[in-house]
Amino acid sequence: MANIEARSEVNGSVWKLLVEPGAAVEAGDTLMLIESMKMEIPVIVEDGGRVVAILVKEGDAVAEGQVVAELEG
Amino acid sequence: MAPDDAMPDLDARRARARAMGGAAKLAARRARGLLDARERIDRFVDPGSFVESGMHATSIVAGDRERTPADGKIAGYGRVDGREVAVVSNDFTVLGASSSAVNGRKIAQMKRVATQRGLPLVFFGESSGARMPDTMGARGMGTMLGNDPTQYQRMRETPWAAAVLGYCYGSSTWYTCCSDFAVMRKGAVMAVSSPLLVAQATSEAIDPEALGGWKLHAETTGQIDLAVDTDEEALAAVRRFLSYMPAHAGEAPPRAAVPEGSGADMATVASLLPASRTQVYDVRKIIRAIVDRDSFFELKARFGKVATIGLARLAGGVVGIVANNPLFKGGALDVDACEKITGFLVLCDSFNIPIVMLVDTPGFAIGMEAERRRAPGKIMNFMNALSLCTVPKLSVILRKSYGQAYLNMGGGRNSDEVAAWPTAEVSFMDPHFAVRIVHGHQPGTPEFAAALAEMERDSSVYDIAGIYAVQTVIRPEETRDYLARMLETHRMRPTGGVGQHLMRAWPTSF
Repeated sequence: MANIEARSEVNGSVWKLLVEPGAAVEAGDTLMLIESMKMEIPVIVEDGGRVVAILVKEGDAVAEGQVVAELEG
Repeated sequence: MAPDDAMPDLDARRARARAMGGAAKLAARRARGLLDARERIDRFVDPGSFVESGMHATSIVAGDRERTPADGKIAGYGRVDGREVAVVSNDFTVLGASSSAVNGRKIAQMKRVATQRGLPLVFFGESSGARMPDTMGARGMGTMLGNDPTQYQRMRETPWAAAVLGYCYGSSTWYTCCSDFAVMRKGAVMAVSSPLLVAQATSEAIDPEALGGWKLHAETTGQIDLAVDTDEEALAAVRRFLSYMPAHAGEAPPRAAVPEGSGADMATVASLLPASRTQVYDVRKIIRAIVDRDSFFELKARFGKVATIGLARLAGGVVGIVANNPLFKGGALDVDACEKITGFLVLCDSFNIPIVMLVDTPGFAIGMEAERRRAPGKIMNFMNALSLCTVPKLSVILRKSYGQAYLNMGGGRNSDEVAAWPTAEVSFMDPHFAVRIVHGHQPGTPEFAAALAEMERDSSVYDIAGIYAVQTVIRPEETRDYLARMLETHRMRPTGGVGQHLMRAWPTSF
């Protein structure tokens, strides 16, 4: 079951998705890039696991703190 | 008592004191992997160096004397790396290490000696708060609590370090919050009052971890500098913190030999900067390359992550590193980061530690949340603290330095020397935003492109070096040698490396 939520730390828009559901990720890996303040802000996983769901698509607006992906550890 | 009886009597009394709250309580702790109060001291100080003060002190309440060995707080003097320190270790097996009239006098003695003689002071926190029922009633309050108007006064005469190693309520929490460094063992709890009392007073169920666990303090309150898994790691962290500190404010911090391999990563440090100005990176990799090998001791790593702070050594001398970390929110400075940096500047200045700032920030984070959290006041506290620092300050602009943050990170003569990498760009704000605000043009239009070119003019590193607002432009790989040399140039010779400590009474928590 999904037990890790990955959140955007900024308001912005989804610029590029870097992983797909099912992918194995390690702590420190980047799931996607959010464009904010003219910068590419990464969504980084703090604990490794497997990506269960990506909850946004490229171009979507996201808010600070919004859950953008679910992982299982 | 005749000498023949007096000596065995003393031995017996010593043995009773060392037995603390009894074998059963000590065994239960051991089973949970926790050290007891005396083991903590023994493992913390240099072997055999501890001299106890107050072993025969007990509760002032006559009926409690036999069950209060050392009155629940063990105090004395030890050595750490050969230097004298004063230590207070709470013995939870004796009435929950509750604060009492007598053990309060032991703490006061440790504080008095540390302050007057120039010793660091260390607290191992694990206590239930004021002793009940001793402190109940007006008479209890009038006689038991306090009676020392300097008990929680902090003037930073000597460094204080605290370890939160169990349930900390009342004075263990207060002393931790008065300290310059706080480490917490995961599973310990630090709060004003116990979950039991809070639950009774507010009629809500209380989860101890939510009330005062390590995640709360490491990530949300910033009241601890580091969280570790075991008692032993906490003791090692306090020793490490003290290794960067002078014994007292009147001397320079200790120097150390430069480890082999220091600076070896400088040749490739430029490659840690991404190709595009819109991409982010982890400034901690750059810090680790610049400072002496394995010397970077990051503080508050999980709090205010847009900025990185920590103690380190550069060419053997202690420095305090303040850096923007673009990895988080592009390095835009928020309220938590302002508080974190401000407190660190106070620490460094109070203990004669030069400050090195690595600059790459688009400015201060703006928005509703920032204003609600009093960002203007926090930004000015940070600015005021920087301007009150009397230790040497060196800034290196790696990339962006915009707006007020340019001043807060040492620009505009707020550092003694400002160097810049050729990749530096200095302006009032990102030119893309400036075009929209000044001209109202939208990106993608020809007017926008023309206005952007105009707005980007004169913001290169040579424009700011040309007016001498930046003293030199250096290649990234020259940074370590440049900083080492400038630390030597700016060494405070007239005072033997000691600053003025204008912020010595700045609050320890704010």
